Amino acid sequence: MKTVTAAQDFENVQSGQSLPSLIKHVTVEQIRQYADASGDRNPIHLDEAFARSAGLPGAIAHGMLTMAFANQMVTDWLGDRSLLKRMQGRFAGMVLPGDDVTCSGTVASKDAQTRRVVINFVAVNQRGEKVLNKGVAEAEFPPQRSETHAA
Amino acid sequence: MTDPRWVGRSYETAPYEVTEQSIRDYMAAVGDTRDGAELIAPPTYAMVYGFDAYWQLWTDQEVALDVAHLVHGEQQFRFHRPVKPGDRIRTTGRLTAINTRGDMELVTFELTARDDEDRPVSDGQALFIIRTP
Repeated sequence: MKTVTAAQDFENVQSGQSLPSLIKHVTVEQIRQYADASGDRNPIHLDEAFARSAGLPGAIAHGMLTMAFANQMVTDWLGDRSLLKRMQGRFAGMVLPGDDVTCSGTVASKDAQTRRVVINFVAVNQRGEKVLNKGVAEAEFPPQRSETHAA
Repeated sequence: MTDPRWVGRSYETAPYEVTEQSIRDYMAAVGDTRDGAELIAPPTYAMVYGFDAYWQLWTDQEVALDVAHLVHGEQQFRFHRPVKPGDRIRTTGRLTAINTRGDMELVTFELTARDDEDRPVSDGQALFIIRTP
């Protein structure tokens, strides 16, 4: 599926506003696909028995898959991936196949001088437990276009 | 426990050749299929072109991290420019700290990624948590 949307307009961004949340249902197939695409085939993500022997509740999703969801929530809202300048977060809980991960974020600040916007975000599972917290993303918008048109 | 004398050890990837297929595989895997006038990788694709630096750390037999008990604790990225097909990106990762907190070991790994003209592409910092079995 292709989705093309216009880039977010800096002038319309308001401090305190919520970003549209993003919900992802995580499956064994997606974790395998992520392992193949990223190269990270650590058996704690792929081998149920190995993960249990390592003291985990089962094969867990890559933390970076959850961060990729948060990345998508932010860049879907921005409408342009190239605006994102910073992304960070803490993997607060494990994500297992079958979990529903909901990412949500709010605009924490907006600076008209630097045209930068800071977004705080979090991801929770279907029980409301945080799986990613202390999430911070920062975007820089291009210089304002001139309103005047050449004659 | 990991020997703290390995703090400072660094790992460099071979140049990673970014292809449209590699970006699209990543987009499909994470379910982020937005397309634009030109293909730009999701910023977290930094984990793909930089992955071999992480892999070298995890499989370094001298440092011998207990990877079976290692989980990703925190991650930070700074993105200096968009990544597109045709880019060749080299990532250097450096083991910068080994700390303990209770029965956990905290390993800090800092990464810098640069293109063929030695311009910065992204920086990253990962914190790995190793649980004592």
